[in-house]
Amino acid sequence: MIENKKGIEFSFGWIFAIIVGAAIISLSIYGATSLIRENRNTEDTFAGKELGIILSPVETSLESGRTSLISFPVETRVYNNCKTFGNFGSQGISIATKSGVGDLWQKSGVESTFYNKYIFSSNTIEDKNAVVFVKPLEMPYKVADLIFLWGANDKYCFVNSPQDIQKEISDLEIKGINFTDSAQKCEKNSQKVCFCNNCGCDIEVNINAESVKRKGQPTVYYADDRQNVLLYGAIFADPGIYECQVKRLMKRTSELALLYNSKSSSLSPKGCNSNLESELIRYANQTAALSSSLNLTDVESSSRELEDRNKLLLCKLF
Amino acid sequence: MRKISKKNNNAQMKIQEMAFVLVAIMIFFGIVAIFYLKVSLSNLKGNVELQRGQEANELVRKISSAPEFYLNKECDGCIDMDKVLLLKERKNYQGFWNLDYLAVEVIYPNSNKTEECTRSNFPNCGIVTIINKTGNTGIPASAFVALCRQEFKQQGYVKCDLGKIYASGKSLESTGG
Repeated sequence: MIENKKGIEFSFGWIFAIIVGAAIISLSIYGATSLIRENRNTEDTFAGKELGIILSPVETSLESGRTSLISFPVETRVYNNCKTFGNFGSQGISIATKSGVGDLWQKSGVESTFYNKYIFSSNTIEDKNAVVFVKPLEMPYKVADLIFLWGANDKYCFVNSPQDIQKEISDLEIKGINFTDSAQKCEKNSQKVCFCNNCGCDIEVNINAESVKRKGQPTVYYADDRQNVLLYGAIFADPGIYECQVKRLMKRTSELALLYNSKSSSLSPKGCNSNLESELIRYANQTAALSSSLNLTDVESSSRELEDRNKLLLCKLF
Repeated sequence: MRKISKKNNNAQMKIQEMAFVLVAIMIFFGIVAIFYLKVSLSNLKGNVELQRGQEANELVRKISSAPEFYLNKECDGCIDMDKVLLLKERKNYQGFWNLDYLAVEVIYPNSNKTEECTRSNFPNCGIVTIINKTGNTGIPASAFVALCRQEFKQQGYVKCDLGKIYASGKSLESTGG
């Protein structure tokens, strides 16, 4: 018999140790990666809630508009999830952060739900900084603060925009919006927002029809609009988000109309008779039944009627 | 034969030793994992409570400009008490602000009134509780506000008192946490 001296002798103990050791190490690696993934998920969940909370101080009091810049610690994706279900619908915010450990982007954290926030943005914003622009919607009373949100690297080029829009945006020094008189002068990679028909821009605003059309997407209608609030919403939000937020806003308008109706009834015995109860109930029904932004024109005319009636009152309701 | 049996006994002992060491290592890691989970879970609960408190704080600062409380454009921080009084009757608003407790208290002129406000006793009362879900509010966030109401003497005018608004975030108990 020839002895093979090159062979390696493994005792059973060694083989056992290697197999079990490998099992323990792979289990530890699996445990560590899941732990890191869970931690990221928890942090993203907290960040989503935090974003919702820090949007509160930006809301308006007496101002007609406000702007701010939100900085995230790392590159972040913000998911805007609007739902119309329930008395007021809901605003969902979820966040996913970029990381060098594990997947570059993992699934977003648990969604934070807010009922009193209305964020007009694209479905997903991906940036390290986000621009916030807030304006109150009044129809005819204050309904809510609308939050327009976009990434700091997103550029908008407003072509032939009305003077009042130019003045407001310039006064507030809102980042990422430039004004020109022709689409050719717009910066490359900027979204061209043209206030004219068939100009071949990414977003076209038809002031006469009070509508906004994004390339390849359905037309939405703004029709508020003394302060251009819903117009900004239609420009900065994806059509799906816009329609959803408009429905939510109308639900709140309806609830507020019922609240003002109760106020009107309760003030009557004091001598402050407004006689607006039936109009307010009609307005509440009309706004609650709104199914699309196309019907905003009717709501707007009712809102103007209510505003005119309220101006004549001795004790103003709103 | 005896040699082989002795060798086997030694090997079995070694395997047993190794198995015990491995079991001990697993138990050690298990205990460390349980300890870590317990600490991180309590941290998580603390952080959630803290964040909800922060949410209540931010909300209380801004709630006077919410349309349900807002008086008019001429007065920042003024609350329309005629609306607030009716707001508590509207059940749809119970979950609207993610709060467990929301109340408005009259501070001045108050002559120690603590009675809950209703349509019949208003303004001769001390507090309007809009939301009270748990009964145990802890220390709620608060802010001073002007509490205004419509009065009528030959013509309508607005009368304001000094008040405080209190808000307390959702507790983990009330959300099943």
